[in-house]
Amino acid sequence: MAINNIYLQNEEISIEVNNLWKIFGDNVEKVLDSDTQFDGKTDILEKTGCVLAIKDVSFQVHRGEIFVLMGLSGSGKSTLVRCILRLIEPTAGKILINGENVCDCTAQQLTELRRHTISMVFQYFGLLPHRNILQNVAYGLKIRGMAKSKREAKAQEMIELVGLKGWESYLPSALSGGMQQRVGIARALSTDPEMLIMDEPFSGLDPLIRRQMQDELLDIQEKVHKTILFVTHDLHEALKLGNRIAIMKDGEIIQIGDPEEVITAPSDGYVREFVQDASPAKVLTAKRIMEQPNVLLYEWQGPKTAIHILESTELDNAFVLGRGSKFRGLVTVERLLEIIKGGGKSIMNALEPDLLRCTSDTIVEDLFPLAVSTRHPIPVVDDDGKFLGEIHTSTILGSMIQDKETELGD
Amino acid sequence: MIEFPAFIHVPLAEWTDAAMDWILRVFSGVFDVIGDAILFMLLYIEKFLLWLPWTLVIVLVGIVAWRATHRWWAGLLMAGFLVLIGSFGYWDLAMMTLAIVIAAVIISLLIGIPTGIAMARSNLVETIIRPILDAMQTMPSFVYLIPALMLFGLGKVPAVFATIIYAVPPVIRLTNVGIRQVSPDVIEASRSFGATPRQTLMEVQLPLAIPSIMVGINQTTMMALSMVVIASMIGARGLGLEVLLAINRIDIGRGFEAGISIVLLAIIIDRITAGLAPKQEHSASSS
Ligand SMILES: Nc1ncnc2c1ncn2[C@@H]1O[C@H](COP(=O)(O)OP(=O)(O)OP(=O)(O)O)[C@@H](O)[C@H]1O
Ligand SMILES: [Mg+2]
Repeated sequence: MAINNIYLQNEEISIEVNNLWKIFGDNVEKVLDSDTQFDGKTDILEKTGCVLAIKDVSFQVHRGEIFVLMGLSGSGKSTLVRCILRLIEPTAGKILINGENVCDCTAQQLTELRRHTISMVFQYFGLLPHRNILQNVAYGLKIRGMAKSKREAKAQEMIELVGLKGWESYLPSALSGGMQQRVGIARALSTDPEMLIMDEPFSGLDPLIRRQMQDELLDIQEKVHKTILFVTHDLHEALKLGNRIAIMKDGEIIQIGDPEEVITAPSDGYVREFVQDASPAKVLTAKRIMEQPNVLLYEWQGPKTAIHILESTELDNAFVLGRGSKFRGLVTVERLLEIIKGGGKSIMNALEPDLLRCTSDTIVEDLFPLAVSTRHPIPVVDDDGKFLGEIHTSTILGSMIQDKETELGD
Repeated sequence: MIEFPAFIHVPLAEWTDAAMDWILRVFSGVFDVIGDAILFMLLYIEKFLLWLPWTLVIVLVGIVAWRATHRWWAGLLMAGFLVLIGSFGYWDLAMMTLAIVIAAVIISLLIGIPTGIAMARSNLVETIIRPILDAMQTMPSFVYLIPALMLFGLGKVPAVFATIIYAVPPVIRLTNVGIRQVSPDVIEASRSFGATPRQTLMEVQLPLAIPSIMVGINQTTMMALSMVVIASMIGARGLGLEVLLAINRIDIGRGFEAGISIVLLAIIIDRITAGLAPKQEHSASSS
């Protein structure tokens, strides 16, 4: 299973949250600017009766990325995303959507923002029980005042996008959880928003359906390219979907990074625990996840042959073997072209220096540092230097995402 | 220290009279307008009901009851009840009673549903109105006759007025409850799509509150019917007056016929309004 990491790194910022606080309760001032020092959430609750849900949170979501907000139950994820749409009023701080501070919006502007810019998908779906699927999907458009025929045509299109064709006239109660959430996603997409906020959309579904929905979300994202703020408490889900991940604990963000960073450099014990608990990487070995490459080159082939082989298979690198499958190294198209230009006759001159390698019983967890430091596949070589197979960096991350079920299955 | 001292005397009665006088003096124009409107409405409903051929009414009631209850025999039974009322010689009186009930219910809904909505949307309004409703429902019904009498004198208008006051609490209460019990998930979803509070009310809360509101309408109608009998004391003509006269004359047979007619009318109205409430097929709403 390959991780979806092909989003264009875009520095444009869609959502920016700066020093956001949210405190539930009546004595908000007491918590915010008092001289008394508090010792954590429970202390605040005991002394002031307030619940500190979000504590000085800042982060940025880039255009077109899937930004995952992860944390245990009660860590304040839902409160945070609700603040962004001001479904809950933040206590202090700034929320910039495309540079505009949501906290300063008039009611009118807020309505516009919700109608056009951001849509939300909810854990408990939030479908209208008295309306059929078509009407549910068209709801956001109806609220905008779009004519019936127009909004229903658009809704129909979205229903087809999420694969629910034929269910238009059913009530939500006739649908399974997974299908209801598809309706939720279709409804959110129907207004063609720039951004989606998804609050644990798949948490209520059983693991098999959940995985399927994740795949579908990635497929859909490939078509629609939205900026997605995705909330989950499941590390596997975060690693699979996230271009970047923020980890929340007790209302604070304690780490932000891409999946590799989170896995390889957990910022503190809390994250490490999270990662370890969830990780089959501790038991899997390289042998289990290695694959056979489609193309292998041999040391006696000339650079032009090598180029021809690589180009005809649309690859930009391949391993080079000697007699008896002895592992020699890796060449890239780029290096080969240089060699040809310089009049070189042997592909051995084009080998990448300092290539990393591993053995068949290396534990996947130990492959993470290798995976992060190279763009190339990692060769698996036995004690005699014989080539056994290759591991793609994406497979390493993908292996973590495989559920326990698949583990047991094979 | 055996008898309560006479000098401790709170002149509540005098104050009430004074307040009533003041209200009558200052607002007499308002009450005239209200009274005229009620009378106008009532007369038209009454005229219409009496103009309808009895055969048509019986057939219509039969069909509506059948449709509402989804049972053909219920339709037949209701139609039979009407025939029975007619056979007692009370057709016209029953129609008059029905006219008062209909007028009172229409006005009750016009007042009650918006009030219920206001209550649902504001905790303050709820805290104010709830005890008033509680008080209204514990009060004996004929107490309402007094202010009605003072404001509008004798006749049909005070009867309708008293009936409204007596019958309006259930629809207010159940509108409030119906709206408040709508799942917050659904409301949040609606808000998240940029629905204004008004849109959320019209698209989500009211439609989902309809089963509850229908129960309220049913209860209001039944209470209106029971009040109409009592309101005959201040001059509402109809079946109630017939019962009242029979009591005064100790004419048991006649009183029984009139009483039975009222009961039959009540059953017909109850079955039809209860049947019209949509079945809660989507009660397991959102999870
Ligand atoms: N309306 C409220 N009033 C008071 N406290 C609240 C309210 N809503 C949330 N909280 C508190 O804020 C904290 C964060 O809650 P939140 O629902 O945001 O957590 P979460 O991370 O979304 O958890 P979950 O994974 O269970 O959905 C919790 O301690 C919760 O008790
Ligand atoms: Mg939550």
